[in-house]
Amino acid sequence: MAQDILPQEARLAIEKLGRADIVIGIPSYNNARTIGHVVRAAQAGLNKYFPDFQGVIINSDGGSKDDTRKQVLEAQLDASQLLLLNTPLNPVHRLSFPYHGIPGKGSAFRMIFQMARDLGAKACAVVDSDLRSITPEWFDLLLRPVVHRGYDFVAPYYHRHKYDGTITNSIIYPLTRALYGYRIRQPIGGDFGMSLPVVETYLKRDDWETDVARYGIDIWMTTIAVASGYKVCQSFLGAKLHDAKDPGADLSAMLQQVVGSVFSLMIEFKSVWMGVHGSREIELFGFRYDVGLDPIAVNLDRMVQAFLRGESDLREIWAIALSDQTLREIHAIARGARSSPAESFRISDELWVSLIYEFASAYAELPAARAHLVRSLTPLYLGRVASFVNETRDMNAGEVEERIERLCLVFEQLKPFLVERWGGPRVDELPKPSAPATGHPQEVSS
Amino acid sequence: MIETFRQVLEQSVARLSAQTTQYLPPLFVAIVVFGVAWIVAVVLRWLLLHAFKGERFDAFLRRTGIGTMLDQSGRLRASPLLAHGIYYGILLIGLLNAISVFETEITREIVDGVVHLLPKLFAAAAIILAGVWLAQYLGRGALLWASNEGFPWARRFCAFVRVVVVFVSIVVAADVLNFARTVFFSAFLIFAIGAVCAACLVLALNSREVYRWFADSRKHAGEEEGERSIWNHL
Repeated sequence: MAQDILPQEARLAIEKLGRADIVIGIPSYNNARTIGHVVRAAQAGLNKYFPDFQGVIINSDGGSKDDTRKQVLEAQLDASQLLLLNTPLNPVHRLSFPYHGIPGKGSAFRMIFQMARDLGAKACAVVDSDLRSITPEWFDLLLRPVVHRGYDFVAPYYHRHKYDGTITNSIIYPLTRALYGYRIRQPIGGDFGMSLPVVETYLKRDDWETDVARYGIDIWMTTIAVASGYKVCQSFLGAKLHDAKDPGADLSAMLQQVVGSVFSLMIEFKSVWMGVHGSREIELFGFRYDVGLDPIAVNLDRMVQAFLRGESDLREIWAIALSDQTLREIHAIARGARSSPAESFRISDELWVSLIYEFASAYAELPAARAHLVRSLTPLYLGRVASFVNETRDMNAGEVEERIERLCLVFEQLKPFLVERWGGPRVDELPKPSAPATGHPQEVSS
Repeated sequence: MIETFRQVLEQSVARLSAQTTQYLPPLFVAIVVFGVAWIVAVVLRWLLLHAFKGERFDAFLRRTGIGTMLDQSGRLRASPLLAHGIYYGILLIGLLNAISVFETEITREIVDGVVHLLPKLFAAAAIILAGVWLAQYLGRGALLWASNEGFPWARRFCAFVRVVVVFVSIVVAADVLNFARTVFFSAFLIFAIGAVCAACLVLALNSREVYRWFADSRKHAGEEEGERSIWNHL
């Protein structure tokens, strides 16, 4: 039974509104500078693309000290300048409430989902409050597949700078793809569309007060949608330019929450992913076009130094998770890196994949060491990012995408070893690779 | 002279004879009792080593990290642990029974002392075991924090955390055993004060390095804001 976490004022608002067809949720914390733009885009999107639907924009705020909530409630849309083709039939309601519980994006989503369910919304979309590149079309792209095409979960697909989204590119996308067999390119994109059944599935779960309450929420949503057999697609949203600033954010904690959530869900959905071999494309909606991206500078030396520091300090923790062979290879890389320039630093795909699989297995096997294991991944991850930067320095976007594809294939090729470590059949007993199980209720395009 | 010597000799022989007739049968009984206990212990150990697999207990030791804490190689298994524990337990019971056969004041005191001390010994051992486990856990947490933050003496910091936690567990265990309470407590206080003084001294002597580390970490934070935000990782 889902716990009711709605504040009194939210309950009163639900009673007053009665019902809604579409809910757009915007989590926030000190986003006064950007949230007005996001709310206006949402309002325009609803007016333009869903004029016959009763739409509600809900801001779930984490106790902002600036005027975030005021900005939401005061955001004005000059509809006459937008030259909307349809005359809006229903006004778009804007609500803003502080959520209760563990501070984090997941807790904010929980309140939004609960309100969407109580309002009986057919579709719900969630978007970040720090987006600079969001347009009204995003809402069409996130909601139309749910409202008109029968999809249950819409993941975003963006153009991003080659050094942006490195957790996604090096761990989350390849691992999720290898595990569940679906190529969802931005599984932790942060902007999603979903149907009411998916929202209800989320609310029925009892793991809201784990890492899911924080940055684990995005991969949690994607994984549950995929592993529960919902119809999943992607929508091309253009570029993702955002303005996020959180001085309290810590990479190690962020990595722990995201990767910890993936590993936890691996334990729960073991029976789903163990039988999946290979991967396949899923439907991608939206008109693809090239966009200009903000340049991102990286500090290669600092990442290599973090790797070397980890190699010298964290051996005893890595030894819990990693095999002797993997440890030896890491030490050899570190030895080489101490005597070579940072520009020549490399971690091979095979080593990286083995390392992630070994950490995942240890995470499942050693509950008492979970937090330590995932936190000790930070220097290895930074080392891998440094290696990726070195390899892709002179590559264009298409070449980088090919490079990521090669990594994904290594994740898929080495998956039998992961299955074996988790008590599945031995590598030599496994069937030849194939696409995900046909019984999975999903339409996919090839 | 010869008569006196003969009397002394006769008395000695008589005393020896009396003592032998008094203590030899109990000694014999004690040896038999201990021998029986030893045979039972050996048989039970053999049975446990060959019949008891203890997979669940092995899994528990592995999952909680106690296995690697007691044996770094990670090869510690439940059946030898239990078998040896029972072996030495039976030997101890046999030894106490063997000693009590003599029924003298001193043996009675030894047996009473051990029987009263045994629960406390178990409690103290459990406290120290828990302390070592906690020291390992907190030490690793400290190590991760320090290493990920770029703290220059991460492993020393981890070792310090471990020593403090183990020391606290020893002080508590000594208190439970009522053994040199004040000595351990005073030693702990001296250690804690000494550690604080040493830390201050290290900071003072390495102030330039500490300042550089702090300034670097501030500078890096600033650089990251200007360059690649933490959000670019997601």
